[in-house]
Amino acid sequence: METIIAVEGIRKYYKVAKRDRGMRAAIGQLFNRKYEVKKAVDDISFMIGRGEIVGFIGPNGAGKSTTIKMLSGILYPDAGSVEIDGFVPYKQRKQYVKNIGVVFGQKSQLNWDLPLIESFELMKFIYKIPQEQYEENLKLFSELLDMEPFLRQPVRQLSLGQRMRGDIVAALLHSPELVFLDEPTIGLDVVAKEKIREFIRYMNKTRKTTIIFTTHDMQDIEKVCDRLIIIDKGKKIYDGSIDEIKNKYTNFKTIEILLENGGKETETFDIRVTPMNSVLQKLFAEKHIKDISICEPEIDGIIRDIYEGRLLLDSPAMEGTGV
Amino acid sequence: MRAYVEIAVKKFQDKMAYRLDFFMGIVNTAITIVVYLCIYRALYGNSVEVDGITYQMVATNFVITLGLSNAFGYNEMFLQDKVRDGSITNELLKPVSFIFRLLAENVGEGAFKLIFHFLPALLFTMVHTRLCPPQSALHLLIMFGSVVLGYLILWLLSFIIQTWSFWLFSVWGIITIKNVLVNILAGTLLPLWFMPAALRRLISYTPFEAIYFTPVRIYLGELSGAQLLLGVAVQVIWIAVLGVTANVFWKKGVKKLVVQGG
Repeated sequence: METIIAVEGIRKYYKVAKRDRGMRAAIGQLFNRKYEVKKAVDDISFMIGRGEIVGFIGPNGAGKSTTIKMLSGILYPDAGSVEIDGFVPYKQRKQYVKNIGVVFGQKSQLNWDLPLIESFELMKFIYKIPQEQYEENLKLFSELLDMEPFLRQPVRQLSLGQRMRGDIVAALLHSPELVFLDEPTIGLDVVAKEKIREFIRYMNKTRKTTIIFTTHDMQDIEKVCDRLIIIDKGKKIYDGSIDEIKNKYTNFKTIEILLENGGKETETFDIRVTPMNSVLQKLFAEKHIKDISICEPEIDGIIRDIYEGRLLLDSPAMEGTGV
Repeated sequence: MRAYVEIAVKKFQDKMAYRLDFFMGIVNTAITIVVYLCIYRALYGNSVEVDGITYQMVATNFVITLGLSNAFGYNEMFLQDKVRDGSITNELLKPVSFIFRLLAENVGEGAFKLIFHFLPALLFTMVHTRLCPPQSALHLLIMFGSVVLGYLILWLLSFIIQTWSFWLFSVWGIITIKNVLVNILAGTLLPLWFMPAALRRLISYTPFEAIYFTPVRIYLGELSGAQLLLGVAVQVIWIAVLGVTANVFWKKGVKKLVVQGG
């Protein structure tokens, strides 16, 4: 597979003013300000091939958005290098951004007061999209995303789900080869989320668009992405397929029991350490059980455990699973 | 180029969306002008002229400067707000020059206000106050060009201060000081004719005189021939100086950009 993104050891440190509580500190910081360095991104490297669709996840404050901003050319890395499709994004920003599409789910780029369609028209001129391509894309996208009913409404009257669909279309009208979606499903209902997932998959399948996708919704990742990059505290802690991470944790089982007195309990364990047999025997001996169910680990749970440090991705099998 | 024209047109349409704002804008401009005319009418009393300046000239000066300054107002916190909430990122992701894109948007708004706020207010003023006619059709034409140059000077001054948001995070105070300076030194409060000679001389070395007063003087025929050319040349020089400064600050600011809430 041809490489489209090559990221090598990028770092981004922020200097954050530190201030104690209270009036004295408030006055003091006017004269003598103390800073601490926050390592938002600390030595991250990866390669992404053309046509890949990659989920980029991590807990809040892990450095996802900072990385996306460095990849899209709006932030200079303090160290390391980024090369995307022959461009160094932060050095050739204006040239580079012609070929990418970016959606920041929390920051709309649509014109608040104008009908959605007017914002799209503006994109046509800003990106110099040929009329034919514009019409074709607009028709296709509004069918796929069901946008016909609200194309002519001012953006301020749209629901969040409608607005988000509008934002995604605005970022894709110029048929970019590479698309960054930073939390495009944030705050949306199930139906709207599903629409957006289908659309992303469609774009990836039919147009071979490379897509980098950040989210906190594991369903997004499971349904859309082939590959997963997990970062935490500015460092990459996993890079590989979703199946792989699941397989690795099939040894983990969760037992949910319903007690006769109505109480519920759950227990997670590793069958290599404590075989099912011994766990069940112990449970049956100690408790009055009304119902019992044994669950396979779900990606949600696995990720939660990784974030909370209960699962460690340190075994050799997990290393170097990238491209 | 087409993109910038479209941005200006979209902003123009955008302003049409608010009907109340549309009508209040006319009333606002008309009231400002009328209040000033009343004050100066009273100050003139029975005198025909003060310092060789007739009431009619003063009235003409105020209609032009106040009318234009109302029309040339826009949201000067734009860049600051974008930097503060981080949505400046969306701007940097567009393959267009931010400076020209913002200029286009503000010009769109200015054009709207000129046509729909200033013109009706001008007609209303002309009903009750006699204004000086332009020196000649040619002077009127050159004055239009000079107004555009004046707008650019005013816009660049504002933009330069706006770019300081990259370092200061709040430029509201500085913008306010700048607007007070413009009010005093550009002649929207007191026509520059009445300024003490020393101060007047000082002002002529600042860009402020070239904003509204140069077009006014061209219109009235105070500037003609070589002087007129000099006046316009000074405007152009200020645009060049401020334009380069603005570009430097913008470039440096973007480089320094730390996106908040990242």
